[in-house]
This record gives sequence, C-alpha cells and structure tokens, in this order.
Amino acid sequence: MILRRRVQTIYKKELIDILRDRRTLIAMIVVPIVLYPLLMLGSVQAVSFQGDTLEREKFLVGVVSDAHWELLERLIRSDAQRLEQARQESAEDPEDGDGPVGLVDLAESPSPYPDRQALEQAVKDREVQVGVIFEHEELRNGFNTRNPVTILADREEVRSANAAGRLRRMIGRTGERIIERRLTDLDLPPEFVTPFSIAFVNLSARSSILGQILPLILILMTITGAIYPAIDLTAGERERGTLESLMVSPVPVFELIVGKFLVVTTVAIMGATLNLASVTATMWFGGFDVIVADTEGGLPIGKMVIILLCLVPFAVLMSAIMIAVCSYARTFKEAQNYVTPVIMAVLIPGGIAAMPAARLDGVMLVIPVGNMVLFAREMLLGAPVSWWQMATVLVSTSLYAAAAVSIAATVFGRESVVFADAGSLRTSFSRRLIKPSRRPTITLSLLFVAFLFPTWFFIQASLAPGPGEDAQALLAATAWLMPLMFVALPVVVLFYWRISLTETLSLRMPRRWHLVAGLLIGLSAWVPAHELNVLQSYVLGPPASLAQSAELLGETLSRMHPAKVLLIIAIIPAVCEELLFRGLLLSGLGTSSRKYTAIIVSAVVFGVFHFLLPKFAVTVALGLVLGYLCWQSRSIVPGMLAHALHNGVAAMSVLLPKWSNGLGIPADLGWSHFPPQVIVGGLALFVAGCLLARIKASPHSDQQ
Amino acid sequence: MDMVVADNLAKVFPAPDGRDKRAVDGLSFVVGEGRIYGLLGPNGAGKTTTLRMLSGLMTPTEGRAILAGHDVAVDPELVKRSLGFLTANTGLYQRLTGRELLIYFAQLHGMDAQASGERADYLIRWLSMGDFVGLRCGAMSTGQKQRVNIARALVADPPILVMDEPTLGLDVLSNRIILEFIERERDCGKAIILSTHYLDEAESLCDKIGLLHNGRLVAEGDLQSLRRETNRQRLSDIFLEIVHAAPTTGAFAS
Repeated sequence: MILRRRVQTIYKKELIDILRDRRTLIAMIVVPIVLYPLLMLGSVQAVSFQGDTLEREKFLVGVVSDAHWELLERLIRSDAQRLEQARQESAEDPEDGDGPVGLVDLAESPSPYPDRQALEQAVKDREVQVGVIFEHEELRNGFNTRNPVTILADREEVRSANAAGRLRRMIGRTGERIIERRLTDLDLPPEFVTPFSIAFVNLSARSSILGQILPLILILMTITGAIYPAIDLTAGERERGTLESLMVSPVPVFELIVGKFLVVTTVAIMGATLNLASVTATMWFGGFDVIVADTEGGLPIGKMVIILLCLVPFAVLMSAIMIAVCSYARTFKEAQNYVTPVIMAVLIPGGIAAMPAARLDGVMLVIPVGNMVLFAREMLLGAPVSWWQMATVLVSTSLYAAAAVSIAATVFGRESVVFADAGSLRTSFSRRLIKPSRRPTITLSLLFVAFLFPTWFFIQASLAPGPGEDAQALLAATAWLMPLMFVALPVVVLFYWRISLTETLSLRMPRRWHLVAGLLIGLSAWVPAHELNVLQSYVLGPPASLAQSAELLGETLSRMHPAKVLLIIAIIPAVCEELLFRGLLLSGLGTSSRKYTAIIVSAVVFGVFHFLLPKFAVTVALGLVLGYLCWQSRSIVPGMLAHALHNGVAAMSVLLPKWSNGLGIPADLGWSHFPPQVIVGGLALFVAGCLLARIKASPHSDQQ
Repeated sequence: MDMVVADNLAKVFPAPDGRDKRAVDGLSFVVGEGRIYGLLGPNGAGKTTTLRMLSGLMTPTEGRAILAGHDVAVDPELVKRSLGFLTANTGLYQRLTGRELLIYFAQLHGMDAQASGERADYLIRWLSMGDFVGLRCGAMSTGQKQRVNIARALVADPPILVMDEPTLGLDVLSNRIILEFIERERDCGKAIILSTHYLDEAESLCDKIGLLHNGRLVAEGDLQSLRRETNRQRLSDIFLEIVHAAPTTGAFAS
C-alpha cells in the first residue's frame, strides 16, 4: 500500500515524538530488556532456593502415642537403609529425590498428643507440619492384613504439604518392598502383581507451557505496547493543547488517525518484539529452555518467529481498538479509565481461547481477539491450520481493525470531545440533536458490517447441515433472518441516525438501459463465473468443499417447489444483499473514498460474507460488477435484477439440468470449460451489459 | 475583496435535557484584505466560539462562514489552507524542536521537504528565533513558544489570520513582538481577526471593532464611529457603556 504523503508525514513526526518520550522508552526498552530477565531469573532462583531449603528442612511429625512414633522411626530408618543400598548398587541417587538417607534426621516428633482431635488442631495451628496415626501400633505382616495409616496435613501450607508428600512416598516405597519380599517368598515373578505394563508415548510436538501461555503473554505484551502511545497521541494531544493547531491543518481527520494508528501499531510491534526477544534470551542464557522446549528438545526459535508473525495482525487490531477508545478521552486520566475495562474485555475472549478445549473452528474463527489467540496457539503447536481458517481469522481481524480505526476517525477531533463547552459525548448520540444527512459515514457502514460479520457467521455455522442432513434448516432460517439482519436492522440504524433511506439505499427507479444492463448481466454472469472457477481450479485444484455444498444444496432444492426455490435462492438474497452491500456499505464507503476504492472494498466484503474460500474470487468479481452497476445507475434496482437472475439461473441449472443440456453443456461438465459457443455467447451478453452500465444516470459529483 | 464573510452565524450548544444554549446568535460581519477586525466582548460573549467556527474547528448550527471564497461547511480543507490560527493557549509538541515543528506543519500544508525547510528557515530569521529554534519546545520560555507559534501560524503564508488572545500572559517585550508582527501582516495585505481583552491593543491595531455580548453583535464600527455613538473617548469606556446598555437596548449594532 502506498501511503499518502501526508500520512507519511504524520507517521514520521508521531514516531519521532513518541520515541523521544522517556516513558515510552522505559515501557518499551528498559522493562523488557532489564526488568523481565531480572524478574524471571529472580523468581526462578527464589523458587529453586525455596525448593532446596524445603528438602533440607527438618519437620515435626505429630503422633498420638510413643508407639506410633517408634513405628514411624523404624520405617524411616529401614527406608534409609534400602535407599542407601540401592544407591550403592546403581551408583546413582534414587529418582524420587529423597536422597540416600531418606527422612533420617529430618523428621522429629514432639510429645504425643492425647487424641486425633488434638493432633488435627496442632497441624492446623502449625505446631507440627504433619500428623501420622497408625491403626495398629505394630507393623502387621500377614497376607490378609493391612496397615492403615492416616496422614494429617495442611495442603495450603507448603512445609506441611512437602512433609506429607515425603512421608507418603516413604511409606509407599516400604509397601513396595514388602510386596517384593512376599513375591520372592512365594517364588512368584513381579509380573504377578503387575499384569499390565503401560508405556505412554507423547507424540505431541507441543511444549506444555509454551503453547498454553505464550498467546496470552502475546496479548499482554501487545496491549502494554499499544496503551501508552495510543493515549499520548489522542487524549495527550488534547491535554497538551496541540489538538487545535492540528485540527486547523488542512488534513482530513481520517488521515490523521491513520498516521497515528500506524505509529501505535509500530510501537506495539516493536515493544512486543523486544519483550519476546528478551524472554527468549533469558530462557536461553538462563538455562530455562527446558520448561518451554518441545519434544525434540532445545528452544523453539522457529516458533518464536511464528509468534512474531501472528503478532502483526494482533497488534493492528489492538492498536485500532486502543486508538478508538482513547479518542473519546479528553485527558490522560480519562483515557486510562476507558482503557482498563477494554483490557478486561479483551482478556476474556483471549482467556477463553487459551483454554485447552478451545478449537479454531465455528464461531471461534470470528471472535475478535479470541480467534487470533487460538490461531497463534495452533500455529505454535504445529496443528494443521487450513487456508480457509487462516483467511477467515485474518480477514475478520482486519475488518474489526478497520471498523475501530473508523470509529477513531469519527470521534477524534469531534467538537464534543475537543471542547468541553460543546456538549458531552452523550449529546452526540441523542437523536434529537443528530442532523439529518443524506448518506451514512464510512464509520457507521463499517461498524455495522463488522457487527454483522461474526453474528451472521455464527448463524451460518450453527445451522450448517451435519452429516446425513439436508440444507433445509439453513435455507429456511436464511429466508427470514436475512431480511431481518440485512434490511430491517440497517433501516432501523439509518432511521435513528436520521439518514436518508432513499439516498443510502439508492431507492430510485433506474433508467431503462440500466435495467437492460442488469438483465444482460444477470442472464449471462454464470458463464464468466464458471470460467473463473475453472481457471481458479488450475491453481488451487478442484474445490471439493464447493462441489459437496453444491451437491447438498441441489438435493435439498430438488425436494422443494420451484417457486419457493426462486424465492429463497434468488429473490431474497438479491434484495437483501444488494440493500446491505450496494446500499448501506457502498454509500458509506463512497462518502470518504474514491469510486473504485468504494466498489472494490464493498465487493471484497461481499465475498468475505459468503464464508467459502473457493467462492471468494467469483463473489468478489460479481460484487465488483454489481457495485459498478449500482454506482453508475444510482439505483439499487438493476443490481437486484442482475443478482436475482444470476442466482435464479444457477438454481434452475440444478433443478432443470435439461435446460443446460440444451445449450450443449454436458451433464458431467465438472471443472471443465464450457463449449466455445456458450463462452462466446455468454461473454458477449455480459460485456454488452457492462458496456450499457457505463452510461451514467446523472453526475456523481456529490459522491466523488 | 472580502476575505472573511460571517453570514448570520449561530452556534447552539446542545444539551440532552433540551435546554440548549445559543453561544453565538445571528452574527454577521466581513473583513477585507489588509484589515484588522477586532472581536471584543466580555467572557462568555461568544468570541472564541466564533473564531472556532471560522476556522473549521466547530460546525455552525446556522448561517455560513466564507473564508477566501470557500464555505467552511463545504470545503473545510480549502478554508484551512487559507488560514493561520493562533491562540495564547495553543500548545506545542514538547518533544520536537522549533524547526522540526515548523517543517511538520509546512508539510501538512502540502509543501515538500525542500520548500518546507526553506520556509522554516525564512520564518526563523524573520522572527529572530535562531538562538532557540534548535531547542525542544518543552524547554522554551513562554515568549519563545509564542514566537514559534506565530511562525507555525504563518508557515503556509495564509491570507487570513485568526488570533484569539495572542498576547495573553506575555511580558512587555514578547507582547511588543506580537503586536509588531500583527501590524506587519496587516501591511502585507492579510485579513486579520483579532480577539482580545486588552482594549488598548484593539484601540491601536483594529480598523474595525465588533462588540459581542451574549452571542450577539451589539456594536460594530471603527473607533471614531463608536466614539460618536457613545460619547466616550476611550475604548474601555465605550465597551462598558455598550455592554451595560446591551441587555435592554442592543441599539448600537449597525
């Protein structure tokens, strides 16, 4: 993307400005390079030191009689002898870490307590670390007897828990030796009591800690990096009194915000990169790579690179959110108050996505923040991530980021935000005070689409037919939900914001030639659409998912009345999608961007909303033509006609295969080209339609 | 040629409870090339709001503002290209040097790197800022900052200057520099709108004076005509006379 010169100017200045700020440098450089390693080394050293200390520390064992202590002491000494013997035989320390002398000289006992109740109280009061009660005062060694032992401990108290664990291991070892001896006495092999031999092989490439916690650390690093510059460049600008001089400069607010947003993104990425590098280096040089290493061993440097790559879209989204939120604030303090709940709101989906059971499918693909965390996690764990999943995550994230930047552009420099006497932000949303306007702003349009995207995705995903099911439920729900969400909701929004429905939705009767253009395009678009699919299959291979969904749809449609098919497949989508994409969205985009930019963006969003990667190219191409037709004709009707005809022809080709056979198209055409006469005829009609669409209905000076 | 035309300008500050405040109410005046128009009035009269509407920082609720032939509501960018805006409260980027700041604003006005550098150097010489322009703005004195601010307002050499209390809080020396600068710009043919509480400044500088009270223009004219109408000699006496009379008569508006 070629940045406009003014955006570059703003970017350069803001970057210099922010990098000269001591607070930014401390947060971005000093904290990761000095503080994190110190904290990490310090905490690990402290834990290690505490562990060593605990292992050497004596502990008090409370008992209820001298006989119990004598029995326990005997067990401890016997265990120590066996451990020493084992050490000499294997020339190694036992693996359980209790050392060759076991608990000798470590466990001591005060005077016996009168009963169990008193002993329990002593453990609670931390007079002793652990209490031991034997049921029998002597060790019973008969084949039919057991020696129940009760260990009383306070698990919340680290010394008590440690002592209880060591005593339990010691008693466990003693029990195993008794079994061993009994088996030897009976001349039985060890297999007699262990009929199964279990070998557990972990095939996961994941490192236990890395995959789980790093995406969350990623969130925090990026947020931390974005917060300060976002506040400084928005609320800080107003607080320092520089906003007025900036706003009287001949630069559109959108460019100002884009420049600032890019700086926040840059700083967030720089900060997070330094953080990541620092953590990696600390683990590497501090010898902590074991805790994050994968199964092959060693520090997964490659995975750190993956994290960095995931970080870019994440930083884009977080920076956009932060800029949008901070643009509402008049002061630093106010901005900090706004940011705190946003961080909490961001951490919730992030935390949910970090849960081991979360998967990157269904609605999780489009949950803001959550989808990026899951995506990063799956990439880290080496899980298979399809192009479709990747595209959905990246496109939805970009859409949310664009909506957030648009919000920022609307709010930043707004009278009610800049000047305290110009009313509060609340007044901006009071319908009584909203001035009637002809078209929605780009912000409103993008915001609506950004809200609709996950909602519509969720509906489609939850209604998607399972194995053995047909698509009837999906079609029925689409038939009534689409008018509601694509038409009724936008109308309500437009009404509230006092925006002209006629202008926004281009509700005008078109000229005759534009109707003819719509007719020609609608009747012929299936030819270039199919040819585009064929060309695409050369590159990506025949799309199996598309064929499956077409087959499923065909089966469902064949059981429905043709009139109902036309209503659900052709008319409802044509009307609803045209009103949303060529009405609300294109109008909004057209107020702040050039004609072709607006048409292209609306077409891409139209393609994204179809949620099928193999159909993306075709739907975008169709969106381009329909957008152009609407722009030229200044009417929604020709596009609706073309859209309905195109969908109708597609549905009829499924229902009435003889129709296509009549054109010389073989029934088993698959992903092959149409016969030449069909291509030539179809393209001729299509081009004729596009040429007719070139005629302008009236000057578009107000939209340029 | 009329460089500034305020035509029945009004600004209503809305409140959700419906008790809206008309901060500026039906204000009309014109300023020609090489003229200084003084906008005077007590606190809360609507001076700052008027200047903000003229410079595109606020949208007029009613009426039109035409600057250098462009309607603020229709072509805000073209208006801003023709405008230099200066207030006593305008802050500077503390972490940029004076020169960096001037180049930044020059580039925002569309100048390339070379032209903006040359323009900045010219203004630095003209306003004698060579000694301190290499300092970061945060380290400058109030007077130095205001000189940088003047240079910022002039960086695109705009034909119209809008100044809101430009001498507020300055010492005598800095004050003198600002006043001289205003006169020089007037002599260069610029249309200047000056809002100030220092009536002696207005008396010596302004070709025409508009007195605002409660958002309305209660008197307008040159100093001589205002003297005749009020039988007072000093502008401060004229001011008090008109402001006291305004709530009941409003008779002095021409």
